[in-house]
Amino acid sequence: MTSSFPGPAGADGHVGRDLLAGYAAGTVGPVVVWSVETHVTGCAQCRSAMSEHVDGERLARNRSVLLARAALPEGGPVRRLLCRCGVPDHLLSLLAATPSLRRSWLLSVLGVLTVVTGEAAAVAHGWIGNGGHASPARYLGPHAGPAGYLHPEALVPFLVVAPLLVLAGVAAAFVPMFDPASRLAVAAPFHGFTLLLVRSVSALAAALVPVVAAAFVVPWPGWLPVALLLPSLALCAFALATATVLGPRAAAIAAGALWALPALLLAEADVPLVIVQRDAQFSCAAVLCVCAVLLFLRRDRFDWGWMR
Amino acid sequence: MSPGIGERDDAALLRAVARGDEGALAALYERHAGWLTVRMTRRCAMPDVVDQAVQDTFLALWRRPGAYRGGGDVAAFIWGVGIRRLIDAIRRENGTRWRLPWPQAEPEVVVSAEDQVLVGIEHGRLGQALAGLSPELRGAIEATVLDGLTCAEAAVLLGVAEGTVKSRCHRARVALRAALADQHNGPNTTAARREAWGTQ
Amino acid sequence: MTLNVCSAAVRADGLSRRYGSTLALDEVDLTLERGITGLLGPNGAGKTTLLSILATVSEPDAGRVSAFGLDPRDGAERVEIRRRLGYLPQELGYYRHFTVAGFLDYVAILKEITDRRRRAEEVARVLAAVGLERRARTRIRALSGGLRQRLGIAQALLGQPDLLILDEPTAGLDPEQRLRFRELLSGLPGDPVIVLSTHQADDIAAICPKVVVLLQGRVRFAGTPAELAATATARVWAGDQRNAGAHLSWRGGDNRWRHIGDQPPPGAEPVTPTVEDGYLLLSQAASEQ
Repeated sequence: MTSSFPGPAGADGHVGRDLLAGYAAGTVGPVVVWSVETHVTGCAQCRSAMSEHVDGERLARNRSVLLARAALPEGGPVRRLLCRCGVPDHLLSLLAATPSLRRSWLLSVLGVLTVVTGEAAAVAHGWIGNGGHASPARYLGPHAGPAGYLHPEALVPFLVVAPLLVLAGVAAAFVPMFDPASRLAVAAPFHGFTLLLVRSVSALAAALVPVVAAAFVVPWPGWLPVALLLPSLALCAFALATATVLGPRAAAIAAGALWALPALLLAEADVPLVIVQRDAQFSCAAVLCVCAVLLFLRRDRFDWGWMR
Repeated sequence: MSPGIGERDDAALLRAVARGDEGALAALYERHAGWLTVRMTRRCAMPDVVDQAVQDTFLALWRRPGAYRGGGDVAAFIWGVGIRRLIDAIRRENGTRWRLPWPQAEPEVVVSAEDQVLVGIEHGRLGQALAGLSPELRGAIEATVLDGLTCAEAAVLLGVAEGTVKSRCHRARVALRAALADQHNGPNTTAARREAWGTQ
Repeated sequence: MTLNVCSAAVRADGLSRRYGSTLALDEVDLTLERGITGLLGPNGAGKTTLLSILATVSEPDAGRVSAFGLDPRDGAERVEIRRRLGYLPQELGYYRHFTVAGFLDYVAILKEITDRRRRAEEVARVLAAVGLERRARTRIRALSGGLRQRLGIAQALLGQPDLLILDEPTAGLDPEQRLRFRELLSGLPGDPVIVLSTHQADDIAAICPKVVVLLQGRVRFAGTPAELAATATARVWAGDQRNAGAHLSWRGGDNRWRHIGDQPPPGAEPVTPTVEDGYLLLSQAASEQ
């Protein structure tokens, strides 16, 4: 509803043009300003009259910037939390833009995990046969399954696949084949190593969370989820460090083979869980440290010649 | 822009914005950005900050359209959002020292006979009492009453401490009461009677 | 290091690059000045390789590049070149699920525009420059080829680069869009060094005051389009019959046969050569070598 500017002297009920100009220029006294503002809040005609006192180019410029900002997605609660923690805004935008956080990628990771976890769980509960392998008594732990004994061989698919999934996520972050806009990243001044770290962090988060969660579901001693962390991280660090020497694709394949082959060989020899026991964990930690240092020292190799 | 968008009223435009209609956002901007910019400039002299605040206001309307409950003037609602975005923008400027651009004890520049009458009739006793306040006290009252800000927000707008705002509001109220009482007890002239504050 | 004060802002000397057994670039020398230079050549001539070397994306096997006095072989200078660079690669891949504004925001971060406000202003500016404001929220997978090309040009313009390298920017653009593209390039602030590659001679004639012809990895011509056309003087004729003895003979849009060659066919009169004629003559000569 529009209110008319109070006054009986034949005024048409609106703010006079000169008064409006005076208000816009700031030459009008404060009490008059109050009346003008209160009236304008309710009167569309005076509002548009007031707009004429603003530079048209300024309005147009703000309009285009507004529409550009409106087109960008708003950050969720995680982003706001990280922002409060002091993470720079542009890094948050990069994190949000990482291809690893795509729904299709996450769904495929979940799909693969479901298969291997389901297989392990099904064998442990006796729903499927364990392929004729005997279960040596020394593998019985304090958390025996409902069937009364455990099938470590059933865990082999899970043990082999889980760290490889994490590696695959990180590989997608730095192998140019998976990045359709890789040439833009190379031709840009943004430090390649920082970009790589940002993408690897988000890839790790996207892969580790489902893997660790699945490890809780697999019927085995509770330390399995934790025990998977070090091998996965060591594998990724190894792949990244080797990428500076062999090139990204070769490094990813080498790292994958480095995990899969020993795991499968050990499984054949009926000792699959060695890989998650203490000695192995220490060597994984050592590999992780060495590769991290190597990576840091060779960090400038990430911005040249990716296209070879 | 879709046809008919010029005829829609503001509430309908806000509803369209709630549905994600970008054309409605642009139309809302066309209608309201002008007066919003001017009104904000009366409170903050830095054009960059005002530009940011104007953008933030419409962005807030775009991102949280459900905040408008459907009653009352859309323009008043937009101003409510806008003044707070202006406060945030000023805060982000890291407490730059800045004063309200109100004229210091300047006489009213009345530009036409009509306006003279308008001003005189509307503001009678209250207007005179307000005009009699010092600029700092008036600024505090205006921020808290006209713009509806809390004392903390008014403190950011005026560039002073929160306690200062509170004490100024208190002193302003005391001064207004005294001034209004003086006027009431003053000489009962015909002019004074005619100027009496009539219906609200 | 002394600043190079001669007008050649970008210079390449003796660039060579080999892919397996193919020699993509063979001792290429090039100087680029402020303004638009066109790189003309057929597919496979080495244009993309040359442009990617100039854009510091690839390393040449031999030869040197100097851009604004900076050498990309040095790490810090390479980053400095990239700060002034805008690059549109051929067949740019996009993150298909990104929105137009989201993609531009991402590239703006890669160009080190860390301040959020400045980024929004830059994104708004390039969106307006290429005419994509209304599509800011569209997902890239929903864009047609021509619109995607415009998006590619927009991302190259972010940050107001001093060196703009565009690989086949007019591919996929219809004639009206090409016209707008020409207007866009001529109106860029700061008078940057622009090099664009194309295999269509009429783009060169319309847009570029300078042209370099690249055939089979070698520079065959460097000069103005008028000079390129002039190389075919007295070797172009139009007639009513096909001529088997000419180098090239085809029926043009005006239903007359056009011939390029040394011997005029019977009944044909000489015509003013165009840029395309000069280019065709050069390709013919190169293929005969």
